[in-house]
Amino acid sequence: MKPKVAFFDFASCEGCQLQVVNLEEKILDLVDIVQVVSFREAMKEHSDDYDIAFVEGSIMRPMDEERLKNIRSNARILVALGACACIGGVNKLRNKWSVAEVKAEVYGDAAIEGNPYFDVLPTRAVDEVVAVDAYIPGCPINKNELAKVVTSLAVGRKPTLPNYPVCVECKKNENVCVFEMGQFCLGPITRAGCNSICPNNGEGCDGCRGFLEDLRVNAMKDVLRRYSVSMDQMMKRFNLYNFKREGY
Amino acid sequence: MRTMDPDSWKGFLDRLIEEPKLDVVGVKEKGGRFVFAPLDDANELRLDYDVTILPPKKELLPPNEDLLLFDISKPFNVLAAHDDRKKVLVGVHPYDMIAINMMDEVYLGTHVDDHYESRRRNTLIIASDILNVPPKAFCGSLGTHRVESGYDLLVTQFDDRYVVVEGTPEGAELLERFAETKEASDYDIERVEKLRDELPARYERQLLVDKYKWSEILEENYEHPIWEENARKCLTCGTCTLVCPTCVCYDVHDEVELDLERGKRTRTWDGCLLKEFTLVGSGEIFRETPTNRYRHRYYRKGMYLPMRYGFVACVGCGRCSTQCLADIADPLEVMNVLASSSMEDKKKLPIPEVKVHGVKQELLVPKAAEIIHKEHMTDIDTMYKIRLDSGQALGHRPGQFIELSIFGIGEAPISIASSPGTGPEFDLLVRKIGDVTSKLDTLALGDKVGIRGPLGNGFNVEALKGRNLLYIGGGCGLAPLRSLINHSMENRKEFKHITILYGCKDPSALLFRNDMQSWGSMADVDFKVTVDTCQSGDCWEGNVGVITTLIPGVDIDPDTTMAIVVGPPVMYKYVIRELKEKGLQDENIIVSLERRMKCGVGKCGHCQINGVYVCLEGPVFNYADIKELPEAF
Amino acid sequence: MAMDVGIHIEHLTRVEGHGDIFFNSKEGKVEKVQWHVTEAPRFFEAMVRGKSYVHLQPITSRICGICSIGHSLASLKATEAALGVQVSEETVLLRRLALHGENMQSHILHIGYLVAPDLFGVGSVFPMVATHKDAVLKIVGLHRLANFMSDLVCGRTTHPITLRLGGFSKVPADRELTDLKSRLEAAKPVISEVAGLLASVKGGIPDFNRETEYVGLVDDKLYALYDGAIGSTDTGEHPVNFYKSITNEYVVPQSTAKYTKHSRDSYFVGALARFNLNESKLSDFGRETAEVLGMKAPIHNPFMNTYAQMVEVADSVQDSIHIIDELLACGIKGDKAEVKVKAGRGISAVEVPRGILFHDYTIDSIGNCTKANCIIPTNQNHASIQQDMEAIGPSLVERPEKDIELTLEMLVRAYDPCISCSTHYAKVHFV
Repeated sequence: MKPKVAFFDFASCEGCQLQVVNLEEKILDLVDIVQVVSFREAMKEHSDDYDIAFVEGSIMRPMDEERLKNIRSNARILVALGACACIGGVNKLRNKWSVAEVKAEVYGDAAIEGNPYFDVLPTRAVDEVVAVDAYIPGCPINKNELAKVVTSLAVGRKPTLPNYPVCVECKKNENVCVFEMGQFCLGPITRAGCNSICPNNGEGCDGCRGFLEDLRVNAMKDVLRRYSVSMDQMMKRFNLYNFKREGY
Repeated sequence: MRTMDPDSWKGFLDRLIEEPKLDVVGVKEKGGRFVFAPLDDANELRLDYDVTILPPKKELLPPNEDLLLFDISKPFNVLAAHDDRKKVLVGVHPYDMIAINMMDEVYLGTHVDDHYESRRRNTLIIASDILNVPPKAFCGSLGTHRVESGYDLLVTQFDDRYVVVEGTPEGAELLERFAETKEASDYDIERVEKLRDELPARYERQLLVDKYKWSEILEENYEHPIWEENARKCLTCGTCTLVCPTCVCYDVHDEVELDLERGKRTRTWDGCLLKEFTLVGSGEIFRETPTNRYRHRYYRKGMYLPMRYGFVACVGCGRCSTQCLADIADPLEVMNVLASSSMEDKKKLPIPEVKVHGVKQELLVPKAAEIIHKEHMTDIDTMYKIRLDSGQALGHRPGQFIELSIFGIGEAPISIASSPGTGPEFDLLVRKIGDVTSKLDTLALGDKVGIRGPLGNGFNVEALKGRNLLYIGGGCGLAPLRSLINHSMENRKEFKHITILYGCKDPSALLFRNDMQSWGSMADVDFKVTVDTCQSGDCWEGNVGVITTLIPGVDIDPDTTMAIVVGPPVMYKYVIRELKEKGLQDENIIVSLERRMKCGVGKCGHCQINGVYVCLEGPVFNYADIKELPEAF
Repeated sequence: MAMDVGIHIEHLTRVEGHGDIFFNSKEGKVEKVQWHVTEAPRFFEAMVRGKSYVHLQPITSRICGICSIGHSLASLKATEAALGVQVSEETVLLRRLALHGENMQSHILHIGYLVAPDLFGVGSVFPMVATHKDAVLKIVGLHRLANFMSDLVCGRTTHPITLRLGGFSKVPADRELTDLKSRLEAAKPVISEVAGLLASVKGGIPDFNRETEYVGLVDDKLYALYDGAIGSTDTGEHPVNFYKSITNEYVVPQSTAKYTKHSRDSYFVGALARFNLNESKLSDFGRETAEVLGMKAPIHNPFMNTYAQMVEVADSVQDSIHIIDELLACGIKGDKAEVKVKAGRGISAVEVPRGILFHDYTIDSIGNCTKANCIIPTNQNHASIQQDMEAIGPSLVERPEKDIELTLEMLVRAYDPCISCSTHYAKVHFV
């Protein structure tokens, strides 16, 4: 009995769903072990009968909330796909301003009151609206992690994510530490699983996969002070994907 | 000793590089630092380097390594993965060579790790003398600035000449095949010695205490404030262990491809600084605080490994202190602080004797076995009867365990619940708490699993002969206890009076009801059972109360009685207190402890209780041996 | 016999983002045909508000998952223009290579996964694995190559990592570029085969023409993607800095995305626009492919946008090979231009797969962005889609409902719209 799988997207850039397509030839294996019954971006067919729902994107409006709750009730397992769904990602950057401010600045005098398409609330991650069974973090996700989650669900194993920092992967890849190059990096407090792709390419980690559950925030602040990173620089980097996260 | 002029040396290297069946890995520049990497050209080699980012251990124990390859679409299709490529490692500094020698002891000692052995055998090492010293290193203080053995060749680079020492016949053969060398002159021999002699003075940093005193100093300073002070700044990022040449702990995972057929079991570097290093299926983490984890690393390097193997496992390379972002990883600084402190409180850390017991099989490849019986005992506990496909008996001692594999999911350690006397079948009592045990619950009779073992030390049955036995089992601790209980029943005459006390949460959690009945019905056996709580309507007429409530009512002669206690971690403290009240001596109390066990053979490092490996020195312990161990209870 | 038809296609499939189509006709007369953009607005301009200039690229990259390289380059160019940073020749060449990788990846995805199913009469590419396995594998192989190329130059195709102000944080080694070149050469026959396959199903393309204005980047020598002036088939060339006089954005109630217009009620951007403007600059291989597909500029059939993309795939491969040759001739050095913070305003234009993209930033003296404006290609196409629907509507009225639906869907799909990008939201002024 092949599990039935569906993909949904809310407010997002759809880059995470694109990683499904980026599985390239492996996508043929994927559709062999699961039955994709709904994937709006790639398929015309749609069915409400699915076991596993992958949800990308953040929740912006009451109409989105309703659609999400409907998906939750149809699915046995709901997987949050990507930073926007898992932690809000860049979508949460606008939560710094009130909804009224943002609407006024962007639409000006245009008559949008009462129009549900424009009825915007502060951005929320998926688990701030419904219960989530598994997470695939990252901006975008690492397609290998997606494959791991799918195979885990297929062999009957609870998908798990690494609970150690990006430093572990970065060191194994023998990168010169970003701090040594005069930049700074959120790797020590960010969840691994991306294979330290940004430091591999000479850039510090921006924390797009979300911080560790048990983050050593004071130790991190000490390190940043040692390397003369200003408070302002620090907060701007922290806030890129993890705005309004607890713990710091 | 032989010599080559620079051109001959380059020719030697280039010929090695051109040799198709040989991979040449040497020190190269990367981003302003140095790394070991494949050489395409002799000119890339930088013997004047100070230190590499990662030590050459990565060539012998790769950060990610395939152990097994399997096909889960078939009932049992498993092969050991292996890498037989021949390699030459060029530019290994003395301190790294010494570290490799240490790694050899761990991986080629008592239980030989086949993957490591193959790679080590196929790797020729050309070590090289230190020419430049990194700022944080302190090899001079440890004597690791020079090495006498372990290498196949040792080269010293001068501007005008390369002096080469042959360390092994294989090294000599390599020179003969690929190099043109001349006999070394007295002048060359002298200047090599001079270079090595002058090295210690070039290290800016000096240890204030001899390395052979580290054990003693650490023994006295378990509660020193430095551990907590530094740990407060610790990111527990694992960097120090990953870049250390003597850190060799690893974790094991199963992966399956999207086709749900091909899969593999891989091992990856792991570190004791990481939070989940000691995590077990039930969710418990045994070394939870950053302070404990931070401290453990120093004790392992400076005390536990020296006691076990005879070497101090720090070679002063300075990698950890250079790369630690919080700047708290420096063994030199920590040991210097400890050496000059005077702690009033001397806390002795007794490490039990290393008891060597052989494992007569291929270490990492599981044997095929079949589920021949399955019986649910409670909602979450199931008893399985397993038989090896070979038809042979497992050959275990009571108290040992096996590692059970379900390929694609993983491997879990399970105590053997039956006595050795039951022939080719053995029992496993499995509680459904993690991935492997949950998947096992979905398997049916005739399905195949993988078995490695028997592992662990098992109960010392000899020491129990002629004694009165007091068995105390809590919850699923009754399972390993049952293997001994039944063994003592089968050999009844060897033991005197037997008392069995068993306690569990509530009536629905009772295990081994059939055995309970037969034990209860025996004339020369006292069997008492209790439940912690009981709801009305549970049909329970027996004792209600925690297991310690049963102990006062038992009549025992403390001098001739051995107590064997197995249960959940929280139980031990209370039970042992009651036993001491009864007058029992520490050495007459036997316990069986649980930790996270991955390899089962003392290599992956996860099951450590301070310096003790639960999979080697345990899981059965004599209470006297471990009562002082801070991490035991 | 005229029927009353009421069609509402909710959340159109096989397009990026959410949009609805409405079609109502009564007694053979079209009453309403409308394209509704219902995507949740994400307020990107609010996101970059007050942000340091170093964060503009990572944030705006997240406007789109498919054109993230394009957005990143537009963002970097605008920031560099504002700060007065001059990048080297090598950097420009590498950036052009990155853009080719993105173009190829996006076009192949669109042609193979989003449009081909319509031309083969199936709901998605998945059933085609059984019926046209060879073709599917070729498409997947080309997609993989495009991703490989973007990974090599940018570190990652979606939300690139190495693209940085003034240069690259990491550059490919000469050896890696040589390897890439051989893979691109090997891909050329595969591209020709796929083009041949597309040509064979050309009959499935509706015969519909509506002459309109086509807008895109133009250049003296190159088929412009990275740099150039704004070109219009109606009004000729315009400097990039005058982009607002071209776009003229305005809000409409049925769309959370704004509309644009210039010399007519709408204009068209994208592969077809670029083809119409720059056909003479195509490489040999691009020209060859256009011939196989029977294409000669100007083409006014919007459904042919997909075929123009096929031509661009071929052209991108050929141009990439030329770029690699140029880079290898000097050897890669890893240039990094100096970046100094100062107040300024910078405007950039870049062609991304779906059309011309504008980024406009104002940066203050300490490097924070005080004003930002991004005009997305699909924004610029929404009005054109609406006009096309109104034009094609009457000819569909007598057809069966299934046909009307399919044709309208194919029309929107042909534009390869990137709807979530177009609803990011526009002009904000803040201090």
